[in-house]
Amino acid sequence: MSVSTSQGHIGSLLTSAFFMLAGAATLYDAASYTDRDSQVFPQTVAVILIVTAGLSFIIRLLRPTDRGGFGPGVWWRRILLVVSMLAACFVMPVIGFLPAGVIAFAGGLIAAMHDKWTTRTVLLYWSSGAVVMVCFFSLFKYVLNVPLP
Amino acid sequence: MNFDHFLTAATPFNLCLALFGVAAGTIVGSIPGLTATMALAVLVPITFSMDPASALILLGAIYTGALYGGAYAAILLNTPGTPSAIATTFDGYPMAKKGDGDLAVALACFASVCGGLIGAFALLLLAPPLSKVALAFGPVEYFWLSVFGLSLIASLSTGNLMKGLAGGAFGMILSTVGVAEISADIRLTFGSQTLISGFGVVGTLIGLYCIPVLIDLVAVPDRHLKVEKDVKSVRIGEAFGLAMRSKFNLVRSSIIGTLVGILPGAGGSVAGLVAYSEVKRGAKPHQKFGEGEPDGIMAVESANNATVGGGFIPTLVLGIPGTPPDAIVLGALLVQGVRTGPTMFQQSGSIVYTFIYGLIIATIMMLPAGLLIGRYAYKSIVTIPKAVLVPAVGFMTIIGTFAIRNSISDVVIMLCLGVFGWVVARFGFAASPIVLGLILGPIAEQGFVQGWTIGAATNNLTGMFFGRPISQGIIAFTLITLVLPVFMGKRRAKATQGVPE
Amino acid sequence: MLRRTILKAGAAMALVTSLASVASAELSGPVNYIIPFGPGGESDISARMQQPFFKEKFGQDLVVSYQPGGGGAVGWASLNGLSGDGQTIMGVNLPHIVIKPAQKDVGFKTEDLNIFHMFHFTPDAIVVTADSPYQTLEDLVADAKANPGQVTISGSGKASANHLAQIKFDKMTGAMTTYVPFKGTGAAVTALLGKQVKAEWGYTTVGAAQGDAVRLLAVAMEERHPLFPDVPTFKELGYDMVGGAYRGIALPNTASEETTKMWSDMISAVNTDEAFRQKMLDAGFALLDVDADGMDAFMAEREAEYLKDAREAGLIK
Repeated sequence: MSVSTSQGHIGSLLTSAFFMLAGAATLYDAASYTDRDSQVFPQTVAVILIVTAGLSFIIRLLRPTDRGGFGPGVWWRRILLVVSMLAACFVMPVIGFLPAGVIAFAGGLIAAMHDKWTTRTVLLYWSSGAVVMVCFFSLFKYVLNVPLP
Repeated sequence: MNFDHFLTAATPFNLCLALFGVAAGTIVGSIPGLTATMALAVLVPITFSMDPASALILLGAIYTGALYGGAYAAILLNTPGTPSAIATTFDGYPMAKKGDGDLAVALACFASVCGGLIGAFALLLLAPPLSKVALAFGPVEYFWLSVFGLSLIASLSTGNLMKGLAGGAFGMILSTVGVAEISADIRLTFGSQTLISGFGVVGTLIGLYCIPVLIDLVAVPDRHLKVEKDVKSVRIGEAFGLAMRSKFNLVRSSIIGTLVGILPGAGGSVAGLVAYSEVKRGAKPHQKFGEGEPDGIMAVESANNATVGGGFIPTLVLGIPGTPPDAIVLGALLVQGVRTGPTMFQQSGSIVYTFIYGLIIATIMMLPAGLLIGRYAYKSIVTIPKAVLVPAVGFMTIIGTFAIRNSISDVVIMLCLGVFGWVVARFGFAASPIVLGLILGPIAEQGFVQGWTIGAATNNLTGMFFGRPISQGIIAFTLITLVLPVFMGKRRAKATQGVPE
Repeated sequence: MLRRTILKAGAAMALVTSLASVASAELSGPVNYIIPFGPGGESDISARMQQPFFKEKFGQDLVVSYQPGGGGAVGWASLNGLSGDGQTIMGVNLPHIVIKPAQKDVGFKTEDLNIFHMFHFTPDAIVVTADSPYQTLEDLVADAKANPGQVTISGSGKASANHLAQIKFDKMTGAMTTYVPFKGTGAAVTALLGKQVKAEWGYTTVGAAQGDAVRLLAVAMEERHPLFPDVPTFKELGYDMVGGAYRGIALPNTASEETTKMWSDMISAVNTDEAFRQKMLDAGFALLDVDADGMDAFMAEREAEYLKDAREAGLIK
C-alpha cells in the first residue's frame, strides 16, 4: 500500500476536511442570528477553524506520510464497548438504571477480557462488578439524591 | 485574627469534620462527573442544624479535598476528575504510563497541600487588599487572559500547530452551542432540542478524555499501566525530595493559583493552565514537558488548590463568589445571617476566622489522608484486572455524566464525543486543545463582546483593548510564551548541530 | 429537655394532621428542589432561605440541586418529563419563562408550566458605586442625555429583567444608555464595583448584599423597600416603573390537583412565617403571595406586560 493511500494519510485528510465543514456549518448557522453580539465570536472562530484545518489539509496533501491511523487492536472489542454503553442509555428509561448498567458492564467486561474465562474469574469478576454497581448506584441515589430512573 | 479562633477551629469535633471532609472530598473529586458543587449542595442543609463554623469547615474541607482528588483520575486514567485537573493529565498520565503513577500521586498531594496552604494564608492575611484584583479585572482582561490560556495550545502541539489550533477553534465552537449566555440567540443546535443545553464541560471532559482511554484499553491485551515488580507504597520520600527541589515552582504556581482564584469567572481549570504554561516556559533543557515531567504536575496541582483560598477572597470580602462551590458556601453564610462584604471581618469575624483556620487545618490533614487514599487508589487501579477496570470505569462515566443534569441525552452526547475524540486523536487532533477551547471560549467571547460594547460606547476601542496596563501585561506574557520556544528551539538546534554525533 | 422534644413532636404532628385534612396528598421523603441556574444567584439564595423553614414545618428536607443551562430553559424544558408525585419541584423565574419561549423554540411553553406559587420578587433598581458622581437618578439621566450612549450600564444577560428595564427606562426618559450584558448578577456587580461600567441595572438585593459599597438611585416598587427607606421609587420620581424579576415554584404538569394544592399551601405557610419574611426582607427581597388559585390571573397580567415590553424593545417579533 503506498503512502498516499494509507489509512493514516486518508484519515488525516478526512478529519481536516471534517473540521473545515464544521467551520462552514458554523458560518451558515451564524448568518441567521438576530443579535450581533452572538454572531461575532462564532464567525471569527469559524474562520480560524477553516483556515487552520485547511492549512493542515494542504500540508498533508503536499507531503503525504502514513503517520496516524487506528493502530493495532481488535475492532469487535472497541465496538462492543461503545455499543453496549450506548445501548444502556437507550434502554435506561424503560428498564431502569441498574439493569441498564448491567448491559454496559457486561459489554465492557467481555470486551476487555483477553484471558481465558475460568470458573474463578467468572465468579470473581461478575460479583465484583455487581458490588461496584450497587455501591455507586446507592451512593448517587440515596446519598446524593440523584433521581436515577 | 487571633489565637482564640484557631482554638475554636481545632476542637476535636471540628478536627474530625475536617478529616472526614477532606477524605470524602478526595473521593468525590476522584470520580469523574461527581463534582464538589454537587456534594456541597447536598450537604448545605446540614449546616442549618450545626454550629455555622463547623459546618463551614466541613464544606471547605470537602471542596479542597475534591480539588486534590481530581488528580487521581487525571494521573491514573487520563481523565480529569474535576475540570481543575485538566492540565494534570498532560504530565500525570505519561508518568503513570512509565510506571511512576505512585510517585505522581504523592507529588500531587504535596503540591496540593502547598498550594492550599498558600491560598489559605493569603485569605487569612491579605484578603481585603487582594480582593481589589477581582475588581481590576475587566472584560478585556478576561479576554486577554483566555487568549493567554489558548496560547498554551501552541506549545502543547509541537509539530502539529495547525491541527492544535484547529482543535482549539473547534472547542470554542462547541462552547457556543445552545442558548447563548449573554446574548439572546440559540446557536448551532440545528433544530435539535437535545443540543439546546449545549456541551457541558464535565460531560465533555469525560467523553473526550476517558472514553478514548477505554477504547484503547479493550483493543489490546497489554496492561493498563506499567508496574514495577512490587507495589510497596506511594513513593513518599522520593516525592518529597522532588517537591523540595521544586520549591520555587511550587510557590510561584501557588501564587498564580491564588491570584487566578480571586478572579470570579476564571477558576481552578484556568489557574492550572496558566501555572502549567508558566512552568513550561521556564523549562530547563533536560525537562520534557508532556512526557511525564514531575514539575508539570506540581505546578498544576499547587495552582488549583490555591484557588480554594483565593476564591474565598472575593466571596467573603465582596460577596461575589469566584466558583460554584464558593457560591454555595456564600449561600449557606447568607442563610445563617452572616453579611459578607468589607465589614464582615469585623462583624462576623469569629465565624470567618474560625472557617479560615478550619480550612488551613483541613489542608494540612490532606497530607496524611491524601497520601493514604492515593496509595489505595493507585494500588487498586494497577492491580484490578483490566477486564473489571474497564467496565467499572465505564459504568462510572455513565452514572457520573447522568448525575450532572439528570439527563440521559447528556450521557449519549458524552459517548458520541468520546468516539469522535478517539477518532480525531488518531489523526493528530488531540483532545487537550479542544478542551482548552471549550473552557476558555466562553470567557473569551463574553470578555470580547462586553469589552467591544463598552469600547464602542465610549469611542475608544483601541484604548479599551490595548491601552489598559493589566491587559498590556497579559499580552506581553502571551507573546513571550509564543515567541520564546521558537527562539530557544532555534538556539538549541544550533547548539546540537555543533556537537559531533 | 425530653418534655420539650415531646411537645415539639406533638406540635409537628398536629400541624401535619391538620394539613393532611386539607389536602389528601402527602410527602413521602426528601424533596428534590431543582434550581435551573448555577448556585449563588437570587433563585438559589431564596431557595436556601426556604430550606430550614420548610424542614421545621413539614419535617422533610428540600434538597436543592442545580441544572444550569440556556438561562434556565434547559431545566424548564425537562420539567414536565419528571415525576409528578410531588417529590420534585423546580424554581421558575419571570420574565424568563415568558420571553424565552416567545423568542425561539426552547423546548417548553409558558402555559405548560404548572406554577403553584410565586413567593417573591426582586425589584429592579439602578445601582451605582458609593463614590459615583451620580447622586440622584436625575444626574444619571442628565448625563445620558448630554452624552448619548456613553453611559454604560451592566446587567445580567440579554432579554432578561435587567435588559427589559433598561430598554423601558431609556424609552421613558428619552435618554440613551448602553447596556452591557454579563453572566449573572454577580458578574454585573463585579463590573460595577471595578468601575468597568458607570451603573448597574440590578435589584434591591444588590443593595442589601453590597451595603455601603453601593448606592441605589431608585427602586421599581409601589412603595419604598423597608430596607432602604431613603431610596425613592421610580414612581416618586415621575417614572411609571414597577417590576423586577419574579420567582416562584412549579410542579411537573402530571401532578394531581391535590398535590398542587398541598404544595401551594405548604409554600404559603412558609411564606407567611414572620421570621422567614424578615430574613427575606433583610436580604433585599420583596415578598409576594400568589398561590395556585390566583396564579392564572397573575400570570396573564405579567405575560401581557412582558410581551408588550419585549415587542416594543424589538426583542421579539
